[in-house]
Amino acid sequence: MATALATLGTLLATLGVAFLLVAAIGVWRLPDTLSRLHALTKADTAGTALVALGALCLSGSLSAALPLVLCVTLVGISGATLGHLIARAHLGRETR
Amino acid sequence: MPVFDILTATGAVFCAAIALGARDRVAAIAGFLLMGLVVALAWVRLGAPDVALAEAAIGAGLTGALLLRGAARIGPLEPAAPPARALRASAALLALGLAGLLGWAFAGAGGASVYPALVRASLAESGVGNPVTAVLLNFRAWDTLLEVVVLAVALLLVAALAPPRIDPAPLGEMVLPFARVVVPVAVLLAGHLLWLGAEAPGGAFQAGAVLAGGAVALGLCGVLRPAERTGAALRIAGLAGPALFVLAAIATAALTGGLLDYPAAAAKTWILVIESALTLSIAATLFLLFLGSEGKSR
Repeated sequence: MATALATLGTLLATLGVAFLLVAAIGVWRLPDTLSRLHALTKADTAGTALVALGALCLSGSLSAALPLVLCVTLVGISGATLGHLIARAHLGRETR
Repeated sequence: MPVFDILTATGAVFCAAIALGARDRVAAIAGFLLMGLVVALAWVRLGAPDVALAEAAIGAGLTGALLLRGAARIGPLEPAAPPARALRASAALLALGLAGLLGWAFAGAGGASVYPALVRASLAESGVGNPVTAVLLNFRAWDTLLEVVVLAVALLLVAALAPPRIDPAPLGEMVLPFARVVVPVAVLLAGHLLWLGAEAPGGAFQAGAVLAGGAVALGLCGVLRPAERTGAALRIAGLAGPALFVLAAIATAALTGGLLDYPAAAAKTWILVIESALTLSIAATLFLLFLGSEGKSR
């Protein structure tokens, strides 16, 4: 049970890191602000959530869940809001 | 873990290079913020979570907000001619000299410090279980008092210079729901850090910085309008913490004969009361530094 949970945790965290890596490559390689945001916001939030889920499995205690859920929630909503704000500022600059 | 340590060390230097070399102010500030986060990670690896918390909340978070605010006021970077060769050579020489001095000091500082053992031995009489809080608010409370006075002086300077207040542009419909989630969480987290500081990493500076972060979010989404009356209330709140700390010092001198020498059984109560007042006043001070104090908004 414990090893299964640890394996699952490592797997989830690795997957999350892969998502974050894709987000980073997207920011680096994509041509303009909006497509960079597109790559960053989604993959970033998913990656953080997966890493947190993996960390929860690795820690094996439910009391670790509260701070991890709080982290993921904050990253999720701030990522979404920041993406919106950056896109808004970008569009405002373009139409002006 | 050595791979992680090498990554944080080189990452911090790389981010510092971005902060110094970027042609764009916002990019330079982004580099500085990233450096703060990487340095916070390095502090965690060095086993100093208190410093890491302070670095992340104040060094990376609020300083970044202050720098961005300043950058917005002074406008974009003007392309300037590269400095003269003699100037660059002397700057390089000075930097090398400083690096050499630091290296020499580091090499000379052999042996373990005597303080951890001393603190551990007398932790029980400090009233708190967190050695960092015991040092900051009990054994060396005098130093902390002076540090807090530095913040109060900064607040007075801002009031004296009266920079124009910021009047944030409307940020769209996503910001208010964001603030509705983040601000209550910031208040809860500040209370948690304050209470936790007695037994675990946390304390007034970290809690105050988190609280100020929540206030900055409120200010940016236009809810906390900088009116005459709120400004005065914030300034009073900012000065109340140091004032209470000074009063506590006088009271302890009268009660026990020693400056900030708390009565033995009630040390924890004294520390918690002082830290609570400090949290509020650090938050108010940092928020006022961000918002500007007097004058017309712009």
